[in-house]
Amino acid sequence: MFDKILIANRGEIALRINRACKEMGIATVAIHSTADADAMHVRLADESVCVGPPPAAQSYLSIPQIIAACEITGAEAVHPGYGFLSENARFAEIVAEHGMTFIGPRPDHIRLMGDKIAAKQAVATLGIPTVPGSDGAVGSDRDAAEIATRIGYPVLVKAAAGGGGRGMKVARRAEELSLALTTARAEAKTAFADDAVYIEKYLDRPRHVEVQVLADSFGKVLHLGERDCSLQRRHQKLWEEALSPALNATQREHIGGVVTGALTKLGYLGAGTVEFLYEDGEFYFIEMNTRLQVEHPVTEAITGLDIVREQIRIAAESPIELCQEEILFSGHAIECRINAENPFTFQPSPGTITQFHAPGGLGVRFDSAMYTGYRVPPYYDSLAGKLIVHGRNRNECLMRLRRALDEIVVAGIDTTIPLFRQLVREPDLLNGDYHIHWLEHYLAAHGA
Amino acid sequence: MSIKDVKELGAKFANAGKGNVPLSVDGAAIRELAGLLRETGLTEIEIEQGGRRIRVARQSASEPVSTAVSVPAVSGPAGFPRQMVSDAPAPDHENSTTITSPMVGTVYVASEPGRPAFVKIGDSVREGATLLVVEAMKTMNPIVSPRAGVVREICVGDAQPVEFGQALIVLS
Repeated sequence: MFDKILIANRGEIALRINRACKEMGIATVAIHSTADADAMHVRLADESVCVGPPPAAQSYLSIPQIIAACEITGAEAVHPGYGFLSENARFAEIVAEHGMTFIGPRPDHIRLMGDKIAAKQAVATLGIPTVPGSDGAVGSDRDAAEIATRIGYPVLVKAAAGGGGRGMKVARRAEELSLALTTARAEAKTAFADDAVYIEKYLDRPRHVEVQVLADSFGKVLHLGERDCSLQRRHQKLWEEALSPALNATQREHIGGVVTGALTKLGYLGAGTVEFLYEDGEFYFIEMNTRLQVEHPVTEAITGLDIVREQIRIAAESPIELCQEEILFSGHAIECRINAENPFTFQPSPGTITQFHAPGGLGVRFDSAMYTGYRVPPYYDSLAGKLIVHGRNRNECLMRLRRALDEIVVAGIDTTIPLFRQLVREPDLLNGDYHIHWLEHYLAAHGA
Repeated sequence: MSIKDVKELGAKFANAGKGNVPLSVDGAAIRELAGLLRETGLTEIEIEQGGRRIRVARQSASEPVSTAVSVPAVSGPAGFPRQMVSDAPAPDHENSTTITSPMVGTVYVASEPGRPAFVKIGDSVREGATLLVVEAMKTMNPIVSPRAGVVREICVGDAQPVEFGQALIVLS
């Protein structure tokens, strides 16, 4: 087992990783930019190294600085968290080249799943159902039109190098396709430096259902059930549930088996999430994330497993201790991603937190780097905290979530807590009756 | 004027004495000197007169002050981490420059072990002179002087790990 791990991230997830390491008796190194010198994870880690000025490109994304920090502290492994360098295959390779362990999948698989076209082709050959589409990058606009006609409108034009909901444009009719292609290509070029696009059937009101997997270095691949992350704004998840209100046990077992079978054939290692659109009983693969996900705590709540701990054990070449039949799902969990943003305009709200009080009680978990007096820096994403609530069933979970949301105090900055207080009282959400466009419709209807 | 300075003064007078000279603190003089400090922006004034000496000093106004942040009640044994590298920026007096590390790495004071250090305290350096080297990932990165000046302080030792922004050298 590792003696020392460097946490190559910040904010709530750095704190999360620090907690798992501490529980395993592993020493931790926090890295931080000058803007994060007072961050909670920096205070709690055993050692800290300032790696650069505030801009992420010169700090949290600076591979040389992070490697140097590993060298001067003697870190044996690096946990990349999510975002930043977590899906950077080159970083994973460089870490290994310097004699350290990257806590994550093999670089080849990171690379494969990072290319959304190649990923789709790869999983299709492994038996995972995919969205009907162009089966590769589209060339000319005429090719695109033929493919779109074959699939049937509406279609979605997607950036091959995209992901996380970015670089996608809808064309509802043939007349809209040309513009969608041009816009998607232009955005992709700017955001990802690669204007390759592919086309997929646009599903009308699907749910976003993703399956969490763990794979060890002995070839064992398990699934930990699914998460329903349909409530999204601009393709960013706001509210996630485990298990999905839309699936029954048979469907769960089926898709879990398909996913674990495919990843066993692939020889996957580490934690990962396979994301699907689900409509009318059918699953359609959209992408795979080869890293820890923001919403992993809802899976932890219903399985009792510490996913970060499992990642570390897998990276240290320890076998997963359980088999699939021993993975049991208990109760229901919901996570609300609370952002430092205005709850109606979503304008970012950095600033000093003058008062902070986390909710508590049975089944309530709050993962956040906030504390009274903390200055939320303006340089990074706006996630302020994740409220995760567990109950013995979905109704109890919802009641508890309502109670917990009413307890949180965050003063001094805007947060999206008021939005969640509204959502937890919405009939459609109480009934679990929603899809990936639901939240956008709700926000539009409520004048956001 | 800090409490410590007042106590120093008191101690000086208490120990000066022939016989039982009662302790007398010349409050008016001290206040006057303190006022002079503020007016002139000096950091230290010392006056000797008739066997009595008064020294009044203050911390530099330009010394970086960290923002007060309340530590949460739950911190318990957390406190501040034992920093891998010590973090003591020298005060920036007028006309002095603190050169900080632009990278994470290990600092070396000479070009090779056993060779003399690039600079020592009191040396005059010209713009562009190599002051130290920071090694990161097997490459040596010279830290050069941004201007002509005199080395007043060397804040790091040979083979010491440094982080971004850490004070290395103070030039006057």
